[in-house]
Amino acid sequence: MSVIRDRRQFLRQMLALTITGVGASACRTSKPAAVNPTPAEPVEAFVATPGAAAPKPTSAPALVRPSPSVPQAARPTSQAAQPAAQPPAAPAVALPTAADTADLAVARGSGADPAELVHRAIAALGGIERFVKPGANVIVKPNICTAYYGPEYAATTNPQVVAAVVALCLGAGAKRVRVMDAPFGGTAQNAYAKSGIGDAVQAAGGEMEVMSRMRYRALELPNGRKIKEWQVYGDALDADVLINLPIAKDHGSTRLTLGMKNLMGLIQDRSGFHSRGLDQCIADLNSSLKPQLTVVDAVRILMENGPTGGNLNDVKATGTVIASADIVAADAYATTLFGMTGKDIGYIRLGAEMGLGQMDLNAVRTVEIPV
Amino acid sequence: MRANALHKARRWVQLAVFLVFLYLTIRAAAVPSTAGLFFWLDPLAAASGMIAARRITAALLIGSLAALLFSLVLGRAWCGWICPMGTVLDWFGGRKARPSEADLPPRWRQIKYFLLALILLLAVLGNLSLIFLDPITLITRTVAVAAWPAFNAILWGLEQAAYVVPFLRGPVDALETAARGTLLPAVQPVYAAGVITALVFAGAVALNAVRTRFWCRYLCPLGALLGLVSKVAWIRREANADCTACRSCVRACPMGTIDAADGFRSNPSECTLCLDCASACPRDGQSFTGHLRPARWQAEDPSRRQFLASAGGAIATIGLLAIEPAAARPSPHLVRPPGAHDPEFLARCIRCGLCIRACPTGGLEPSVGTSGWRGIWAPVLTPRQGHCDYGCNACGQVCPTGAIPALPLEIRRQQVMGHAYIDRNRCIPWVDNRICLVCEEMCPLPEKAIQLEEVTVVTPAGEEALIRRPYVLHDLCTGCGICENRCPLAGESAIRVYAPTDLSAVAPAT
Repeated sequence: MSVIRDRRQFLRQMLALTITGVGASACRTSKPAAVNPTPAEPVEAFVATPGAAAPKPTSAPALVRPSPSVPQAARPTSQAAQPAAQPPAAPAVALPTAADTADLAVARGSGADPAELVHRAIAALGGIERFVKPGANVIVKPNICTAYYGPEYAATTNPQVVAAVVALCLGAGAKRVRVMDAPFGGTAQNAYAKSGIGDAVQAAGGEMEVMSRMRYRALELPNGRKIKEWQVYGDALDADVLINLPIAKDHGSTRLTLGMKNLMGLIQDRSGFHSRGLDQCIADLNSSLKPQLTVVDAVRILMENGPTGGNLNDVKATGTVIASADIVAADAYATTLFGMTGKDIGYIRLGAEMGLGQMDLNAVRTVEIPV
Repeated sequence: MRANALHKARRWVQLAVFLVFLYLTIRAAAVPSTAGLFFWLDPLAAASGMIAARRITAALLIGSLAALLFSLVLGRAWCGWICPMGTVLDWFGGRKARPSEADLPPRWRQIKYFLLALILLLAVLGNLSLIFLDPITLITRTVAVAAWPAFNAILWGLEQAAYVVPFLRGPVDALETAARGTLLPAVQPVYAAGVITALVFAGAVALNAVRTRFWCRYLCPLGALLGLVSKVAWIRREANADCTACRSCVRACPMGTIDAADGFRSNPSECTLCLDCASACPRDGQSFTGHLRPARWQAEDPSRRQFLASAGGAIATIGLLAIEPAAARPSPHLVRPPGAHDPEFLARCIRCGLCIRACPTGGLEPSVGTSGWRGIWAPVLTPRQGHCDYGCNACGQVCPTGAIPALPLEIRRQQVMGHAYIDRNRCIPWVDNRICLVCEEMCPLPEKAIQLEEVTVVTPAGEEALIRRPYVLHDLCTGCGICENRCPLAGESAIRVYAPTDLSAVAPAT
């Protein structure tokens, strides 16, 4: 009977569609992410001063590259852990040798042009070309946490610093430079406008992007002590270069918010960090989410009432920009601007313990550049 | 008269006006100075709002005079050509009466006059509790509280389903980039009154199954007001000599006002100038011409007795409202939008729902029980659902009556809406000796209203530890509620915003 035949055919078609749909979604999750395929790996951040031993990870290697079937943003940085999967370094350009670059660059000059501070600091690290190759897909992650106050309140990253980084990346031949953050106070559109970052980035040729709720996916954190997996913004995991651009601020929970904490803007569930032990979760996130470059904006810093700010009396003009590929070292140096040390901040201490970077500033090759 | 062309034009005019209405409502926060356009043109809401508040708003006055002038010329054409609720009712046309089927008894049509008089008399007495019966407020609230949030939820579901298919990802991303945070709400709004609002509106539309335009014929108080004005309107429908008594017009009239027993005359108080009769008539038997003398009073028009009944109803309403608990003691969590204070607020708010639509966090919602029967559908802030965004002053900008004052952002930020109190029996650092300071982190004030005290405690393991605990400074707290919104405790927040108490007169400890 034709009715039964039609029904069978209909069911067959539905089955085919279902299989296609399931296959499509399975393909999506198992596709290896094109993360950091740079054949020319930048010089590792862990290059210690000659004679000093490379920091040994406590138990498991500081960073293990997960199996290729799982998308990852990991980049092997520890020379102690040499997974077989590490791609052979075949630099297309001659990289600066260890002798003429620093691990940590600090440009300082009261009243200096913030863009100039950024240029000098990154130049001292070996130039932006060390991190950004021609054709790179770059994501810059500043701190645009609220839409409450203008940039002079030092609650959001200095727009001139952001624009300078964007311009440098484009100058190095980046195909695309996107700037994004997910504010906790106000909408992204308002925050981008109020902070001045929207206009500055557009003038520099970059793109502001509103982070979409659709585009988060699971990042495995195999070295996490408290958490083993978290939903992170997919575009940040897929980018060729992730540049972390925090502003140094006072913070109630963690005492200071700097580079390691700034990455929280890229996760979907921030409340989950607060309820599981904020410092350890930040360190766990940093164990697998590793920006190639961290530039700490300390042109103006927020001494009290952070992270939201709002009182110009709490703002101190320190005229400093700190740059490093080692996020722990950058954060440890930034604490000194508040009269603290890296040990005073939970996530910095835990990050050093887990081998994510160097907290002891004496073991880091630092260059201070007066501007 | 080119009845057919005009008749078709009416459908297009209705659609265009409806789209403008939808745009202004959905994008209220982006176009605050014009978002209230349909309330300026709604003489019932405008007049009631001004009378109850005892103050004149220029836009409301000019708009309602213009609308009344329009009705003096064209009768209830407002209902047939402009009213967005009428447009929706036409789209869901309903059942046309069979020729043999009589209209409902004339008393039914008097219900709307009863409600009109009730609303106006209550307004004279300074009370706007029943203004939610106004159709423009009804449909605006429905869009803001039910239709748009539901649409957003459905769209989000479709987007997530589509995202599984690789080639659909691009269009979904493009839609999100273009519309999220601007046209589409950044967070999914959910309101306590959402389902009820949808059901009430659906009910009003469903009544079309009994008679077409049931709402407009029997219930609409704005239609009643315009109907009274239409008694002296210039343009009115007449059956002329070409009429062959074929009864086509009787069948076609959506308002059921053409009376076959009365020479196919219609009541100008009921006729919406929809021109369906002229379109159905095979012989061009209708004329729409000018009249100077008032139309005659018919059985379904309001009577003096009925007006007295309205007056009695108004007094009874006042009496009932005086004996409800909200009259004596407000709900402890009654938090009004910034700058709005009861009782003046309730005498100014026309329950339109524009502030609810404009609020970017979805924190403002129509009150169901929080402010009693007197405050039904008026906005309250529910911080656990959405806080008052420190960078926003949209509610005051869109409010068509100024019930929520339009304040510059800096002044808006200083308004005290409530005070936050920490329940030390639930707050994590107080009870569990674990670290949590989210409320302090989120407080947006330049001098935070939540401060931290550092104490030494003994942990369950028996060790001494330092812990920091939050406390609220009520001199500083403005009740924005972001602390309550972000408290990580499941269920009820450990820090809650209460209706404000002025402590300045209470002596401090010495």
